[in-house]
Amino acid sequence: MTKIEILGTGCAKCKRLFANAEEAVKNLNITAEVIKVEDLDAIVEAGVMLTPALFINGELRAEGRVPCVEEIVTMLKE
Amino acid sequence: MAETPTCSCGANEPKRIIFPCAGQANTGQLTNLAAIQLTEEGYGSIACASLLAIGSEGLVKNAKNVDEVLVLDGCPMLCAKKIAEAQGVPVGQHLVMTELGITKGPSKSYTNDDIEKIVAACWKGEGRVKDSAKPGKKTGGKDNGCGCGCGGTC
Repeated sequence: MTKIEILGTGCAKCKRLFANAEEAVKNLNITAEVIKVEDLDAIVEAGVMLTPALFINGELRAEGRVPCVEEIVTMLKE
Repeated sequence: MAETPTCSCGANEPKRIIFPCAGQANTGQLTNLAAIQLTEEGYGSIACASLLAIGSEGLVKNAKNVDEVLVLDGCPMLCAKKIAEAQGVPVGQHLVMTELGITKGPSKSYTNDDIEKIVAACWKGEGRVKDSAKPGKKTGGKDNGCGCGCGGTC
């Protein structure tokens, strides 16, 4: 199962990224786990210095910005 | 002391200008409210479609140099989009409120859910114009291409 993690402390951009990731999963009709990581220590441990960040199956795919739904769909298809 | 991550609020997104039509109907007023919220969330900067209409040189120049121009129209009259096109400003994303399921008038009322629906649609890129990529144009974020930071994949 695909694991999608959204790292961020909960600002508007983090929420938008989470919503976009959920929408992308819905569009692709795949089974994926979409997780919010809001713990600061966990974010630092992941090496993220600019939030929000998007990890797909443990790989950093976007940092400090909000990819649109289509972009996340493309990432998930790879 | 360990470094802490910085929130990118207001930074790192592609540079965008938002033109709401700001028409008199509920749908027009909603474009304004959505543009204000988008500006507060760091999506881009609201600008005046009326100023663009009179051909303000500075605004036209700015609008041509940003990564993406977002136009919000209230109804199918598409006034703001026509204004942008008349000034030669390429529209990267365009949303029409009535196409988002919001009914135009006669009531002037709107709900916060209406605003949220519009703002979410912008962040999702629902109104992205497919052929809006500008060859050789710089973009924000880390990538090149259409202006959303996707590297031209969307």
